[in-house]
Amino acid sequence: MKIVERILKSINTIPAFPATGNKVAQLLTKPDYSVNEVANVIKFDPSITANILKMANSAYFGPRHKISSINDAVVYLGQKNLLRAIQTAGISKYYKKGALGYFDKVTDLWEHSVAVALMSQIISQKITGQENTTLYTAALLHDVGKIIMGEFVRDSLAKISGLVATQNISFLDAEEIVIGINHAELGGKIAAYWKFPAEIIDAISFHHRPDLLEKEEKIMPWIVYIADQACIMLGFGGGVDGLSYRAVGQVLKKFNLRMKDLEMSMVLLSDDLSRAKELISII
Amino acid sequence: MSDLIVGISDIKVSNNAGDVIITYALGSCIGIVVFDPIAKVGGMLHYMLPESTLDQNKARENPEMFADTGIPLLFKSCYKLGADKKRMIVKAAGGASILDDTNFFRIGQKNIMAMRKIFWKNNVMIDEEDTGLNYNRTIRLEISTGKVFVRSSGGEMKEL
Repeated sequence: MKIVERILKSINTIPAFPATGNKVAQLLTKPDYSVNEVANVIKFDPSITANILKMANSAYFGPRHKISSINDAVVYLGQKNLLRAIQTAGISKYYKKGALGYFDKVTDLWEHSVAVALMSQIISQKITGQENTTLYTAALLHDVGKIIMGEFVRDSLAKISGLVATQNISFLDAEEIVIGINHAELGGKIAAYWKFPAEIIDAISFHHRPDLLEKEEKIMPWIVYIADQACIMLGFGGGVDGLSYRAVGQVLKKFNLRMKDLEMSMVLLSDDLSRAKELISII
Repeated sequence: MSDLIVGISDIKVSNNAGDVIITYALGSCIGIVVFDPIAKVGGMLHYMLPESTLDQNKARENPEMFADTGIPLLFKSCYKLGADKKRMIVKAAGGASILDDTNFFRIGQKNIMAMRKIFWKNNVMIDEEDTGLNYNRTIRLEISTGKVFVRSSGGEMKEL
């Protein structure tokens, strides 16, 4: 069997994505949702329940006093933060083993993913004037392809790194040449298997090359792209791929951003990260 | 004897021969290492951005974040432990960039320029430098010997 076929086949071995997030999102759309109803959906999922209190008490989500029950968490987090906390808890369990072909430590991929998710909200605030929970989920999942690609990248690392070093091509293109698929495209397929909406799938699949997505008006892949590049530059989750990704130059003009805006986002991110230790420590 | 870890926007200094000062995963950020071989005092700065004019409040609160506020602080922190400017050896690593650095993502380059400008203005020579390109770097400084080692992502530890 060709490597690509083996990789695509192994998607089916990943456990289904917890439906808790979608169920809660649906409940929250009703103007008269009850806290008990929402809390009961969360309690049905033990792995999420275990982490949600820890995250609810994180300075990033900013509670003024200690939150000690799921019902309290639902009330105090509010809709936006509740969904983020649920998605963070749900996604974290797939990252427990990390992506060792790319990274030295098992926690590196998760740390990078949380940093990109936080940065996506800072960039979104700058570009659109508001934060966005769907974008947060997409950013948290952008490198999910690496959890499967890791072992294949490890086996072919000499070839991939050789291409990057001698041919001046990006790590992403080298993955595709050597393995037959890149981690972004594979991540999109995993998100599709988990039945995430198209905008999340696109944001994952095109997070290194948002310029290749035909739906030009979609900004989610661009924001994930900017957030990811910024975190890569800052060294949050630097792996064997390092900074070997191609700059997409038109991003500056497209969103009327200045270099200074990106630098300021980095300053804001370092504040957010220091308040988000609990998010990082849940795996 | 201990490993002192320098976080992002952080400084560590030591005159304890058993200490090793380390910073991990420099990308576009730069790690500056200084060492006085007579006083056996060493220090390391891991700065993130070139200029404190970006956010003066932040620079007051966390001067280690910027080259222009962090580098003077690194030297002053070493003087307090008995280091002398004339004897200090200066080494730098980091400042990597993503490929085809166009007009937007040039923070690595800007960080390198900022560092060189500050040292030039202050008549300080950079003795060794491993900057630019597109990989992450980890730096180690051994206080007992003053030796500095740099490891690039996936590569071997090499003396700088």
